Amino acid sequence: MADDDSIPKYSPEGLSHDSVEEDPFENARKADKKNLLQWMEIAVAEPEKRVVTSMKVQDTFIVYLVETRITDKNIKYNGDGTSSLWRRYSEFELLQNYLSITYPYVVVPPLPEKKASYIWQNSPTDKFDAEFIERRRAALEIFMLRVAAHPILSQDRIFIGFMQQEDGWKESVYLTDFQSKAESRLKALSASFRLQNPDRQYDELKNYCTELESNISNLLKIRARMADKLYGIHKIHGNYGRVFNEWSGIEKEMAEPLQSASHYMNVFAQSVDGILEEEEQYADQLKEYLAFADSLRSVCRKYECLQYDVERAEDNLSYKKSQKEMLEQGKTGGTFSLSGMKTKLFGSDTPEQRDQKLKQLDEQIKHTEEEVQSTSQELQNFIDASMRDIDRFKRQKVKDLKEIFTNYAVMQIKQCKKGIAIWTSAKDCYTKM
Amino acid sequence: MAESKDEILSPDNSEDNLKFRDPLISGLDASDGEMESLSLDASARSEPSVSRSSSLMGNLSRYDDCVDEETQDLFVVVDDPEKHTSTLEAYVTFRITTKTTRSEFDDSQFQVRRRYNDFLWLRQKLEEAYPTHLVPPLPEKHSLRRLDRFSPEFLKVRQQALQKFLTRLSNHPVLSFDKNFQVFLTAKAWEFQAHKKHGTGILSRMSDSIHNISASYMMKNRSPEFTLIYEYVQNFAEKFGVIDRISQRIVKEQTDYVLELCEWGPIYTLWSNSEDQLTTPLLAMSRAVDICSQALKETIETTEDNFSQPLKEYILYTDAIKAVLRRRDAIQMEYESTIDELNKKKDEREHVKISDQTYSIGAFLGKDPEDVKQQKQDKLEQQIEELTKKMEDLNDRTVCADTDLRVDMERWHKNKQKDVKELFIEAADRQILYYERCLKAWEDAIRAIQAKEVSHDTLESQGTENSPNKASSSEERGDTMEESSSTSEAHEGATNSEPSV
Repeated sequence: MADDDSIPKYSPEGLSHDSVEEDPFENARKADKKNLLQWMEIAVAEPEKRVVTSMKVQDTFIVYLVETRITDKNIKYNGDGTSSLWRRYSEFELLQNYLSITYPYVVVPPLPEKKASYIWQNSPTDKFDAEFIERRRAALEIFMLRVAAHPILSQDRIFIGFMQQEDGWKESVYLTDFQSKAESRLKALSASFRLQNPDRQYDELKNYCTELESNISNLLKIRARMADKLYGIHKIHGNYGRVFNEWSGIEKEMAEPLQSASHYMNVFAQSVDGILEEEEQYADQLKEYLAFADSLRSVCRKYECLQYDVERAEDNLSYKKSQKEMLEQGKTGGTFSLSGMKTKLFGSDTPEQRDQKLKQLDEQIKHTEEEVQSTSQELQNFIDASMRDIDRFKRQKVKDLKEIFTNYAVMQIKQCKKGIAIWTSAKDCYTKM
Repeated sequence: MAESKDEILSPDNSEDNLKFRDPLISGLDASDGEMESLSLDASARSEPSVSRSSSLMGNLSRYDDCVDEETQDLFVVVDDPEKHTSTLEAYVTFRITTKTTRSEFDDSQFQVRRRYNDFLWLRQKLEEAYPTHLVPPLPEKHSLRRLDRFSPEFLKVRQQALQKFLTRLSNHPVLSFDKNFQVFLTAKAWEFQAHKKHGTGILSRMSDSIHNISASYMMKNRSPEFTLIYEYVQNFAEKFGVIDRISQRIVKEQTDYVLELCEWGPIYTLWSNSEDQLTTPLLAMSRAVDICSQALKETIETTEDNFSQPLKEYILYTDAIKAVLRRRDAIQMEYESTIDELNKKKDEREHVKISDQTYSIGAFLGKDPEDVKQQKQDKLEQQIEELTKKMEDLNDRTVCADTDLRVDMERWHKNKQKDVKELFIEAADRQILYYERCLKAWEDAIRAIQAKEVSHDTLESQGTENSPNKASSSEERGDTMEESSSTSEAHEGATNSEPSV
């Protein structure tokens, strides 16, 4: 639905010796490619700190390198087929915002959270912490890959510009005037309350969103507490290491085995750091779906607004029609009305006046009928498109969550094996006592 | 005077010859010095009549002290706790089964029932009779953790501790021959009661009085050997105390962790209620989490029984060692003060020999000074004789006490090494078992998650009413309508296809 005339040049270095200006995106579309990932590689890499001073205020932020590379040899392009530029988090936000508003029927992939929540107490909250930045980078990459994999979103020129238009991308976003298409929160709220005939599907979807959010946030909350306890368990074993060492000092034959065992107790204690770092990945993956729930809810909200528009138009129409009816029948409309009053005071309309009014009403009715038709059409289009994308989202979700859970189980298995190895080594030490 | 002291102490002195008896009391083998660890051959002892204890018999090697295989001739098994309620109280008795080839016993097999207080009595008697020997400790009367003293877990732990106690006793070269011990193992109920009431025992002159404790501090000549033992025992007890505390802390954290797991697992189950295509994976996650939390729960309980209790017992053991050390010190103290007294008297004798009793009190009273002198000399001779005897006796006792303690400590160290080794190996095994169980749980989970989902079609065919266009599984709205409307019946579907939730 986006209309952007500025087609970004692929090779920023300038015109190549090829006389033909190749637009690989156009070529890909002609080659029937459904999404970008079928012919291109995208990566978010190398976070770097930038310091910008403007008006005596120093602003420090992180930028990420967004790189692309054409991998399909059959797509023609100019230059070397790669691009790379720096983007900061706020630019990602702008892109995501733009996509959400411009494609309200799409469950738009979410961004990683701005501030860390549901974190285990020793996890970094500082946005300049290396671990946090790395996790954010990974999440941003996933965001880019999801958008690039989407059949509709991947075609968007602003998205393509995000990856390739170094200068003036922000301006081109604002030029689309996407903000004007945004539904006000107030409208959305009143829409949800005043709908007379809402499609039950969307109600159910909204309920699903609520349940999903509740379940995932509970999982995350408790997981953070679990991480605390697990940390404690492991670290206290480090005390065993210390006391075994001291104890070995007063023993003769047991001294060496005790010292070796002490070493393994320390290994066990230290192993928790790696474990919890890995588990943060699981938390991040769940957090993405927590945010996805919100994205899905936005689609439902948009539906409600559109439905609201239709109902309002229909109400308008029926009101106008009843007005016409009353005018035709010469009734003064109900027990009390302004026109009734007027008639009583000044006498009823002359036939010419009545004709005038009827003509006006007819025009209005025609106008409103058109409105009803257009809003209904828009609503129907929206329902069709959103249901298609919601279906796609559901299938993606099932695949993703299966993989997420499997990965968690794999992680647990790895940790168990490590635990077995450490305790087996300790046991070996004990057998030498 | 100095030389007479030396004379007394040196064995070569012909005049006041101290007879050094063989410190090894009769009844011990010469091979006592070499201890080989014994692995009991269960088949030699298991009998159908004591089948309940046969598994315990097989485990006896766990508790056995280092004993020479050839001389092991006394086996004791503790099992079968039973609760008895009388009008006055409720208590538990254990069955004590004894097998022996010793001639001191009237028979080769005995079976009696004893309660904890009987054990207390036995230990007290042994301490009184063998103050210089190391008597193994008994478990404490009350457990802080298990408040129900009739619960099967508590009884199992107590039984193990009592078994250890009796095994250590029966393996002790000296204590195992004690008469009270024999009575304990063999006497019928009424016999035993009478014996307990009647038994005077040898009233110990070495009660653990303040005198004893202070003796340790006033010791001048204590051999560094015993100071070393004391220091070692002190350090050892401290280390074990620290280990016990660490273990408690870990158990606490683990308990809290289990609580979190118990809250975490059900969330997956609840979530499965909202999904129709992810039911199996979600329930698989929930199940795996439950298995892990159960495994951890059991690990915690076993740690308490098989780790904390033995740790505490060893700390009690060190208390027993300290008591023996104190008593040994007291004997040495008495020996030394007797020597001092003896020397004083000898000095006095010399003094009287050359003295002139003309101006003594006796002469003043009209006695012949020579007679007075003679009287005094006679008296002193007698005293010297008595003191010499006492000193010899105490010297014997000191040497015996030293040897007893030395020998017992050697055995204790060997046993301690073995016990500690087993204790920690078991602790490691416990952890390994826990991880193995969790590993399996997650492997099963992966299989369940990756398995072909019980098809959406099956679910469709089960529920019918809600949506009319169910039959068409097209990619239109109808498809998604089925999905969203079948979330409510998916739950039923889930229970149908997932029997074990």
